[in-house]
This record gives sequence, C-alpha cells and structure tokens, in this order.
Amino acid sequence: MTDLTLTLNGAAVSVSVQSNWTLLQVLRDRLGLKGAKEGCGVGVCGTCTVLLDGRPISSCLMLATNVAGRDVLTIEGLGGDGHLDPVQQAFLESTAFQCAFCTSGMIMATKALLSSMPDPSDEEVKDYLAGNLCRCGTYVEVLRAVRRARELVQATP
Amino acid sequence: MRRFDLIEPTTLAAAAGILADEPETKAIAGGTALLILMKQGVFLPQRLVNLKKVRDASYVDFDPRRGLRLGALTPIFDVESHPLVRRHYPVLADAAHKVANIRIRNLATIGGNIAHADYQSDPPAVLVALGARIATIGPSGERRLPVEEFLKGAYETALEPGELVREIEVPPPEPEFEGVYLKFVTRTAGDRPCAGVAAFARCDRGVVETLRIVVGAVNPVPVRMTAVEERLRGRRVDPAAVEAAAQLAAEAVDPIDDDLRGSAWYKRQVVPVLVRRALEQILGLVPSGRERS
Repeated sequence: MTDLTLTLNGAAVSVSVQSNWTLLQVLRDRLGLKGAKEGCGVGVCGTCTVLLDGRPISSCLMLATNVAGRDVLTIEGLGGDGHLDPVQQAFLESTAFQCAFCTSGMIMATKALLSSMPDPSDEEVKDYLAGNLCRCGTYVEVLRAVRRARELVQATP
Repeated sequence: MRRFDLIEPTTLAAAAGILADEPETKAIAGGTALLILMKQGVFLPQRLVNLKKVRDASYVDFDPRRGLRLGALTPIFDVESHPLVRRHYPVLADAAHKVANIRIRNLATIGGNIAHADYQSDPPAVLVALGARIATIGPSGERRLPVEEFLKGAYETALEPGELVREIEVPPPEPEFEGVYLKFVTRTAGDRPCAGVAAFARCDRGVVETLRIVVGAVNPVPVRMTAVEERLRGRRVDPAAVEAAAQLAAEAVDPIDDDLRGSAWYKRQVVPVLVRRALEQILGLVPSGRERS
C-alpha cells in the first residue's frame, strides 16, 4: 500500500492504495463515493466518468496512483448547500433518465463539455457525448437536458 | 485485476534501463489498452513500469521547416485539439478525434497508440500517409525509423527489449495537398474502425499529380494502395476513372481475418467504397465536408 494525496471535490484527501487499484475502485470502495458506476469496465459506456483536472476520463481505466497531486471532480462535488449544479438541474427538469445508471456519467461529461465549449451545437453535443451510453435510450431527453443546461450555465453569472 | 509491482521512473531513459534489465517487465502509459487486457486476464504482469510519472514527454512542437513533433506521452486529445495540429495537419487532428471517445482520448497517449500497434486504430494509417517517423530511446541509444518499418504486424513493432517510443515526427506540411481520413464503424460511434482510409492528393490544372492512399484496420498493418495511386497518377480527374481505380483497392487489401467489426469478405466490400469516397472528396468531386454515400 502507498499513500495517495489528491484534491477530491475541492478538498485535500489522503488514502492508502494498492498499485493495481483503479481510480473508480478507490472512489467507490475506499472513499464511499458511489456516484461513479462500473458499467462495462473497459472505457466504452461512460458510467464511471469523472473529471481529472477538468477533463473527462474513464475512472475504470485509470490507475489510482496516477491522480497523485491532481484535481478530481465527481458528481458528489457538484452543487452544494441544498442547491443543484445547473447541469444537474437541467437533467432533472428534462427527466433525462429512466433507470439513471448512466446519469452521473452523462452529467459529468456535460459539465466538461460546457466548460470547454459554452455554446455547443446539437451536432457538437452528440459528438461529445457519443461515448456515454444509455441503455434505456433516453438520448432525446439527454440532448434536451444539455440544451437546457447550456441556457442555465449561460444565465449563471 | 491481479496485483503487480509498479515502478515509477521520471525519465524515459530510466524507464528504458529498467525494461532492458528485466525482459518480463512491460511499460504502461495511458493504460486504456493494457488495463483491459489485465482485467480480462490476458496479460498478467508481475511488474510494470509506469510512464505517466515521466516528465517532459507530453508536448506538441511545430516548426515550419522541421515539421511536427509529438512527445510519446501526449494524450490523443491534445493531438486533436492543439491549434497547430489542427491548422497544419487537419487530417491527423481529425483521425485523433475519431479515436474511441473523449474520456479515452484524454487518457490514451499517441506513443502508446503506436507502440501497442493495434491494427484496429485510426492514427496509424494517417501517420503512414504523412510519412511520419518514430523516434525511440533504448539501451543502444536513439533510433528513428519510418512508421511503416516500425509497425511489423498486428500488435508487433520493431521495438527491441528496453526500447520505448520517445517521439513521433511528422514532416512539414506539403503545400496544396488535399487530405481526408474516413473511418467506417459497424457498431457504436466510438468503436474501433472496421476500416479506415487516409488519402492525400495534389492536382495540377485538373490532373492528379501526387496521390497517397493508405488503408488501416484491415491488414495487420496500414497498407498503401499503390495500384489505385498508379492508375490515377497523371490522369485527368474524372468520376468514372476514380470509380474504376477504387475497385483496385479490393484486391490490394489482405484482411487479417474476420474480426468483431466485420468479416474479411465484408471488409473487401467496404474498402473500395471508402477509397472512392475519399478520392471524391480530395479530388473535388463532391463539395468538401460532405460524405457521399
């Protein structure tokens, strides 16, 4: 076991990890953050999406040791004090989920999309989110939610 | 995933030294290929050398006379998004953009992509078509070799024990070249290619002067469509001639085998269609940016 220190959802965190643990395992099994899910385990489905230094990654394919000293944002780090992040709010308003297993990944990917591209076209949204799968097939609602999130983010000073 | 020891050197030279001393030890970079093989139990290492702690190996450098240099540990997303790559090598940026999904492109490295030599990948075909060279570092010093000599087969490279990819070098952009990378997928949007075509052309007053066409994800390594190129070189651009020349691509490929993205027979049908579409785009037979069916 080695000690790993990172910034997680804005706070410094230290945790002992084994070299063969993925970031997803550490988040879920050591730190109790169950928002990121293990779907496929091979980087295809997007349910384990978290942001590393602001960029979306598959936490199931990241060795935990590689986040030492870096900034990790999970769905648990959005919103706070009884209010939702605009992206969460938009997904809720648009009912952009059915079983919701994919939702935290969809929201984190959308969060990254809107921070790198504040005014994406529908085609750009589809291209960016193509790697986040929803087996309930709520893609139409997800697209609507991203459009709504774009409005809410733009309206936020 | 089974336990393993992880060694974390901070220079490529140190990493190469460890790999040279321990033939069973392998290097891991972005991990998007290797971790899957390890989770599946296909690859069960005792020790790995983690390249993610190596410093100064992730960079994009461009000089109009020297061309482009990509540090081995540059994430694929940085290749697609770097303003100088987009401006001077838009086809390479596009092929990088077509790899997997945004999360994988943030993790996977361009050096790892080429060193893993997965034949079902997008960048290698474009790198071959652009005449890229692979710079390596290892126990016997540094070497530079053309990417088509570096790629020996599916998952096979010219890397010797202890050697690592250090940098990918792309020659300066050639003026007045039109290029395109077309990817054909048979499953999801972010899937590996069933087939991919990189094509570059330069015409002089309606006559094809230079042509380079490379098909990826079909043969064990990217393959140049020399028969198609020779048929069209020096000829006037004409839809019927392009259609006829593209048919030669079916004979020029030798599919590795049936894979999850298509049977060998199917790939032989797909390749000439993709080659025709690529030629139509770069020879100005369809409005640019539109892909004819």
